[in-house]
Amino acid sequence: MGMKGISLVLILLGSNLVSGGSFDRNCVPCHRHEKVSLRKTFMNALLVYSGEKNMKAGLRYFLKHPSRDTSVMGDEFFRTHSIKRPSELSDAELDEALDEYWERYKVIGNLE
Amino acid sequence: MLRSERSSLRRFLLLYWLLTLSLLVLAFTVYYRSQERIMLLEQKARMVDYASEQIKRLARLHRYFPELRTYPRDSRFRSAIYDLEYRQIFSTMQSNDVDFRKDIYRRDGVIHYVKILDKYYLGAKYLFIETPDNLHWYRQMMWKLGIAGVMAILLLALVGLYLARLFTRPMRRSIELLDRFIKDTTHELNTPLSTILTNVEGIDASSLDDRQRRKLERIEVAARTVSSLYDDLKFVTLEGKRPAREEEFDFAPLLRERLEYFEGMMRAKGIRLESSIRSAPIHADRRLLARVVDNLLSNAIKYNRRGGTIRVRLLPGKLRIEDTGRGISKVALSEIFERYSRFDESEGGFGLGLDIVRRIVDRYGFDLKIDSEEGKGTWVVLRWGNEVKGK
Ligand code: HEC
Repeated sequence: MGMKGISLVLILLGSNLVSGGSFDRNCVPCHRHEKVSLRKTFMNALLVYSGEKNMKAGLRYFLKHPSRDTSVMGDEFFRTHSIKRPSELSDAELDEALDEYWERYKVIGNLE
Repeated sequence: MLRSERSSLRRFLLLYWLLTLSLLVLAFTVYYRSQERIMLLEQKARMVDYASEQIKRLARLHRYFPELRTYPRDSRFRSAIYDLEYRQIFSTMQSNDVDFRKDIYRRDGVIHYVKILDKYYLGAKYLFIETPDNLHWYRQMMWKLGIAGVMAILLLALVGLYLARLFTRPMRRSIELLDRFIKDTTHELNTPLSTILTNVEGIDASSLDDRQRRKLERIEVAARTVSSLYDDLKFVTLEGKRPAREEEFDFAPLLRERLEYFEGMMRAKGIRLESSIRSAPIHADRRLLARVVDNLLSNAIKYNRRGGTIRVRLLPGKLRIEDTGRGISKVALSEIFERYSRFDESEGGFGLGLDIVRRIVDRYGFDLKIDSEEGKGTWVVLRWGNEVKGK
């Protein structure tokens, strides 16, 4: 456990130096791998959660406790996909990731 | 009209006006609101259509965002979207003073219709549709209300007048009755009174012994009192209607004459007179001015104590009469000018005196001040000419 812990920290530190924030490290790779568009999940989430605070709170809960019933993706989606695993990220990192997620994909300020 | 009558009438009318006006305002507001409601409902039918069109466009934009990012616009209306936290996502509206709790409302010359979305396309929970306000309706409404208002106010004024007359009829009756009574009595009083006075004056006082002379004096005082009362009554009933003969003259001789006239009365009550009289020009009707002086003097005598003093001072523009009577209370002082009211019921008279004084003083724009201290006496100051303007 000790060795694993140290190597994880090293990996985290290393990746932190290479790529940007929590979002790019923790969310993007898996989503790319799973071929689940983060734009798509964002727009679906927006359709349900509407406001910024509401959406962040809702997603924070979902990412920790994923369930088909509370997912924004709809039944159609789960015919071809399975539900994701609960996130093990710390609260701080999750919040940072969600903040970046919102900033990158938000609609407010991007309409003309 | 009596002053008490006037003030209760004023109070009544004020109450009447306040009540009816607030009712009127209420009625108008209710009518206006209901008409506005109807107009808005008509507008709403159209705006609901606009909203569903707009929602379809938002759904499309949601699907293609961010490749498409142009907010959908329409020449017939303007719109805005807000999220669940009341944050504006985008707006093309003129007025962004929005109300989330209402369904449809008018504001700043526009009408807003609020639609809550089932699906929050682009994160929008609230869709506002804005169209220009129906000003034609508004103007027509204001015209209608204006005309109705003027008519209602006229009607209310008429009803108010009628009610006021109804309200004061009993008072007017009794005053009229009293007036008529006085008029009749006055006429009958004149002849015997002159007879008494002429005869009393005709008696040679030096031929009488002391006791007889005192009796004669008392008769004379009594007759003079009645005579002065008679003059007052005549003024109230007849003289008031006689055209005044105004002229510029010296007040001093008139005042001396009046003092002389009251000499007997003062002597009978053991009152001492201290007078300082200087020549004082005044512009008025002699007889009216005599009524003023007579009334002020007779009050000073009537309400003075036995063996008291009366101080009379005449200067240009100012007459001051001071007595050492028991004085008048503050309350009585405020009601003192009412006709038929006497501030001291223990004394006789019709209570006409000060009302007459007030009427004459007002007529010439003179200034009359009465001040009194209970137990000490009363001061009356009459001012005219520059003395009044200079104040
Ligand atoms: C281990 C892989 C993995 C990681 C890490 C991951 N996701 Fe996902 N995520 C998925 C998969 C798979 C789905 C689709 C299935 C589902 O919704 O559960 C998904 C769904 C979502 C959804 C849709 C939510 C919903 O209600 O269905 C959002 C939003 C999302 N991810 C955001 C994130 C964010 C933000 C992070 C980083 C903190 C992240 N994901 C990390 C795999 C991952």
